[in-house]
Amino acid sequence: MIMPLIKGLQITISHMFKKPVTLQYPTERPEIKPGFRGLHALNVSHDKAKCVACYLCPTVCPAKCITVEAGEDANHDKYAAKYEIDMLRCIFCGYCVEACPVDAIRMTEQFELANYSRADFTYTKDRLLEKK
Amino acid sequence: MVNLTINGKQVAVEKDATIYDAAKACGIKIPILCHDKKLHPFGGCRMCLVEVEQMKGRLIPACTTPVTEGMIVQTTTDEIVKARKLVLELLLLKHPIDCPVCDAAGDCDLQNLTYEYKVNMNRFVDEKFNHEIDYENPLIERDMNRCIHCGKCARICDEIVSYGAYTFINRGIEAKMGTEFDGPLNCEFCGSCVSVCPVGALNSRPFKFKARWWALQKTKSVCSYCGTGCQLTLGSKDGKVLTTIYDENQGFHNGQLCTRGRFGYQFVNSDKRLTTPLVRKNGKLQEATWEEALAEVTSRLSAGKSDPASVAALATPRLTNEELFLLEKVFRGTIGTDNIDHSAGFAHEALTKGAVASFGVAASPSEIADIQKSNLLLVVKSDAYETHPVIGFEINLGVKRKGVAIRIVSDKKGKLTRLPGAKTTVHTPGSEVALFNALCKSVIDQGLVAEGVAGLDALKAAVADATAEKAGVTAEEIAAVAKDYATAEKALIILPIGLGYPGHNAALASAAANLAILTGKIGKEGSGLLIMGEKNNSQGAVDMGIYPKGTGLAASAIIDGCANGNVKTLFVAGENPVVSYPNRKKVEKALENVEFMVVADLFLTETAALADVVLPACSFAEKNGTFTSLGRRVQNVRKAIPAVGLAKTDFEILNALSQALGGARYNNQGEVFTEIAATVPAYKGLSQAGLKDEGAVYPVAVAAKLVPVQAKTAAPAAGKLAMVTGSALYHCGTMSRFGEGPMYVCPDAYAELNVADASALKIAEGDQVTVTSATGAVQVAAKVGKRVPQGVVFSPYHFGEGSVNTITDGAEVTYVTVAKK
Repeated sequence: MIMPLIKGLQITISHMFKKPVTLQYPTERPEIKPGFRGLHALNVSHDKAKCVACYLCPTVCPAKCITVEAGEDANHDKYAAKYEIDMLRCIFCGYCVEACPVDAIRMTEQFELANYSRADFTYTKDRLLEKK
Repeated sequence: MVNLTINGKQVAVEKDATIYDAAKACGIKIPILCHDKKLHPFGGCRMCLVEVEQMKGRLIPACTTPVTEGMIVQTTTDEIVKARKLVLELLLLKHPIDCPVCDAAGDCDLQNLTYEYKVNMNRFVDEKFNHEIDYENPLIERDMNRCIHCGKCARICDEIVSYGAYTFINRGIEAKMGTEFDGPLNCEFCGSCVSVCPVGALNSRPFKFKARWWALQKTKSVCSYCGTGCQLTLGSKDGKVLTTIYDENQGFHNGQLCTRGRFGYQFVNSDKRLTTPLVRKNGKLQEATWEEALAEVTSRLSAGKSDPASVAALATPRLTNEELFLLEKVFRGTIGTDNIDHSAGFAHEALTKGAVASFGVAASPSEIADIQKSNLLLVVKSDAYETHPVIGFEINLGVKRKGVAIRIVSDKKGKLTRLPGAKTTVHTPGSEVALFNALCKSVIDQGLVAEGVAGLDALKAAVADATAEKAGVTAEEIAAVAKDYATAEKALIILPIGLGYPGHNAALASAAANLAILTGKIGKEGSGLLIMGEKNNSQGAVDMGIYPKGTGLAASAIIDGCANGNVKTLFVAGENPVVSYPNRKKVEKALENVEFMVVADLFLTETAALADVVLPACSFAEKNGTFTSLGRRVQNVRKAIPAVGLAKTDFEILNALSQALGGARYNNQGEVFTEIAATVPAYKGLSQAGLKDEGAVYPVAVAAKLVPVQAKTAAPAAGKLAMVTGSALYHCGTMSRFGEGPMYVCPDAYAELNVADASALKIAEGDQVTVTSATGAVQVAAKVGKRVPQGVVFSPYHFGEGSVNTITDGAEVTYVTVAKK
């Protein structure tokens, strides 16, 4: 009975002299590990989104949270006229990034996605385009 | 039968089969890129290489090698796989890897085989093609950089469509699929080439970038344009019909479609669709609820019960059999009026009166399958191709592949006249009956009458004064056609009918039937008379009794009744009399005059704009039901998308009215079909589930008898041109105007003149001309060509603007003057 108590106190006291693991968020920020899957971003090349609206990401998405509509530009090329992700449905599996044949989408280190209204979780193409 | 062994499996096939066919018959898949079951073997892609024991040492193409007795075939040895991989590598050498932006991805034979054979690298290096992409035409985009030279587009265009828009041009590494002078594509735009292209070299522009093939919901249904009854697979997504999908195993036509079926589906999701009921208040149509609109209609129809003769209904033959049956039940049964018609007064008399008089049934004695089984086709009007293009493809196949002879009697030349061995007898407009009487007389004079024909004396007397001159042709021509027809073992007469052909009436059907009966060309395979109803369910409308049976008013009389006040309440289901009936001014005046008019339609048509209540109806893609095609084939129509807006199907509308008026109420469309199968004799024993995908042809008991008919020949008006109406290839009725595809190619009304007439009147192609008749005048664009003979003008009737019916009055021929605007 007494021995386990002493062992427990020993662990407690030892922790009093160790560096705390708790982060004082938001003043302290966590170190994001490589490969972390946060908010999506659409990559840009030559001043326009790389996405060619091939529909592979909405096809592969297990949560069916990506909506793509293709359009035809002045050069008759295909581009994403609409690209939306419903972040409330997204499960951050990263399949969209895996599936993308043209490296048009990536996942950033951003994890602070809380918001106040349902509409704010719909990330349109403008919101997703990488900011330079 | 020939016996052979494929991969150890014993198989017996016909002696004209190829190894590929034999493998397919026993369920062994041989990869191939240049094969379509409708086309002749080509052997161009070398993917179907197989090994034959008896021919050891080399690999041979399965698709062009005929089977021989005792053959032992291997389809997948290491050597074959290696060879196929090499073929794919060589194809991918020039083929751009732009699958992410290529519309064919997911439905691309090359892509699928590349995956299957794990071709993930290429041992060869070469430059890609750099051909200019043809964006010129609105329906078919040609990216020849992706082409794999399988030749399917050229072959289908030549063998089946008989147009020949494509061919291989240049040689060696420079070879490519080219068009006339390598210019932009200018053809019938039937899209057959797009449908068979194994890669993304040919794309449908209306569907370009709209969706991925795998994301489409595929629904097998029946086309809602002409009476051919082509089956199509609708590709829909998010409640919208986005495309039609090719399936080489669908229907009698093996997936072949015309420009309307392939590119005219956009009317389903048109922005112009009615989405809410409209009720006229203070002289204006205003949005209303269904309850309000139906209450208004119910109260008017209830009041009509006490005076049934004042109530009339016009229905379009585009509705399903169930809807038409219900319409007949509501109006003839519950309300008690016989004033029901579906333009039969103008267009379908050939079935409702002509066929009934000559054969004892209101249907064609022949089927579509008879076309290719015949020895000789006698086509009335070259326009048969324009009104029923897929029947035109059947005729092409019969003539080019089966050696069927073809004779055309027409008031103008057309595509069919260019078929090999085709002989066209161009007669004066409106003299079809005179021509058939002359043919009958010639058959009698030449002693070619079949044995045991009853009623011959009466016919002899009736055609005694029939001469070739009355039809404006020479006696030699008539004698030759009559002899060819009578001496052919099997001969089939093809007669298109519809709103564009006022002359194709009961008399003409009987006159044509007389010729068939006289020569014994009736009651056997490959012979008889094929009366081709204009709309998708023209035959069904006749079967369901949508025409006056007793003393009721036919369509033209209903219009007159509206004008003189005898008809007070008119229910119009989908019909557009203002544009499609003769004498537009008279129709407009009549419909403005009628006390109360209800129109149930997809669009606010010219007729709906005059209505007191407009009900938004559903298109064929939004409902289940059945259509009956011109060959008496009953087929399932299936719902592909939910109703647009607040639209309801005509079945729902009529069901609600039936219940409100104290009639029967059905729980679903299937119950109505069950009742049809129980009460309509021809449909006896049919079940909707039993129709499956291929449908069922109902039998007819033909009691053929000669019905002498007198020819009425209109006296030609001096100094005037004879105007005949009809269909344009790209349009059908007035509905195709709401499909983007047809409107890209043929957006405006036109009058087609002969070169000589045009130069005499100083009219050039594209000029605006005023066409004036005794009824009125209309302004249209001029089209100049050699198709119509001198002294004849042709104009299609589909258009609201420049409506040719402004100047017609139901006569076979309208005499007009044409002047440059």
